[in-house]
Amino acid sequence: MTSVPVPAPEASPAEPSGIKIGPVIIAFAIGTAVSIGIGVYGRLHPPSGHAVNIAGFSTGAAAKAFLASIVMALVIVQVVTAMGIYRRIPLRDAWVGTVHRWSGRLAVLISVPVAVHCLYALGFQTYDGRVIAHSLFGCFFYGAFVFKMLILTRDDSPGWALPLAGGLVLTGLTALWVTAVLWFLV
Amino acid sequence: MKHRSPLITLAAVVLAFAIMFIVDILSGPPGSTSAETANPSAAPATAGATSTSPQPTETTVTSTSPSASNSAEDSKFPEKIVYAGQAEDGAGAIAVAVLGTQAAAYFCDGRSVESWFRGAVTSSDISLKSKDGATLQASLDGDHLKGTLRTKNDRVRFEINKAKKPAGLYRARGSKTTIGWIVLEDGSEVGVQTTGEESAPAPDLNPENPQVTVDGEELGAVPINGNADL
Repeated sequence: MTSVPVPAPEASPAEPSGIKIGPVIIAFAIGTAVSIGIGVYGRLHPPSGHAVNIAGFSTGAAAKAFLASIVMALVIVQVVTAMGIYRRIPLRDAWVGTVHRWSGRLAVLISVPVAVHCLYALGFQTYDGRVIAHSLFGCFFYGAFVFKMLILTRDDSPGWALPLAGGLVLTGLTALWVTAVLWFLV
Repeated sequence: MKHRSPLITLAAVVLAFAIMFIVDILSGPPGSTSAETANPSAAPATAGATSTSPQPTETTVTSTSPSASNSAEDSKFPEKIVYAGQAEDGAGAIAVAVLGTQAAAYFCDGRSVESWFRGAVTSSDISLKSKDGATLQASLDGDHLKGTLRTKNDRVRFEINKAKKPAGLYRARGSKTTIGWIVLEDGSEVGVQTTGEESAPAPDLNPENPQVTVDGEELGAVPINGNADL
């Protein structure tokens, strides 16, 4: 119809109706780079053993467990509202999308002080299996988050891309919570 | 079509990370930040609160030392450990030695103020007292020790790391003089010597050959463990 140029190599597996896989791959690569970058920083900088304490808690660990549990609760809101958006459960009002977006924004912002404490004061550690898993998932989570945000900027991604990204974020956060808060409380 | 709001969210998260890092770096113990960012060491326990100079001897420490894993994994003190570091706000240095269920601690400012503490350990908490009624409460937070020291009219908070020899707590006792030293991870020392009612900065201590001479009296300094009789 129009003078469409020859597709760039990475866009060659383009599906019908303008679906593009290339941007998904690029977003995934950026997210992966973020994960690796966080891991390298956490591994290479000497842990300070010190970070600012959030007022009102007996220890930094208690404050982190509390904040991380708020995040986990918001993530459950995320799953429920996402299921509503995808019509898996009968939640169809206009507010569902708004709740999904704002609970997500709140969750990731609340996670930041926890993650910075982990990274700055403790670093990427490998002294037992739980700690290795927690360190890896911590890096993984923010990479998955970046991946998801980048997917969200476009409407031409394949239908599976956004649920995949959301699922990765959910997996990462749940694993972080289990390897830290659940361990801390039990 | 493109949406910008996810990018704004992303930018907000990056900004939040930056703010938290800056707050943490600015709130760090004095003198710690420049050395920490300049020293590309991956060891978890070497970042003493006052690592103002590069480590000459500890650069080969691995991150898998058994004591580090014990303390962080069980949230319980190892059988024998010493923590040492600077208190917050430059109030002085603190060392806490734990042995089994007993703990001993020492606080001093390197000029004239010092206190020795004794007390008990319960899994991840310690509660100590000095002879003049000051108290020291601390608990294990990850692999470091966090707590508060209270005297009649002052309160000092601290968050200190495990001290690897030669860092640690030392004391020498003569007929009239008692000296306490806290040797920090970077090799620097904070100590006070007290003769009768007079307190003064401690003489230099060489942890390899811990002999000092005070008023013509030769004193031997010993490392202090949690069960020390103070």
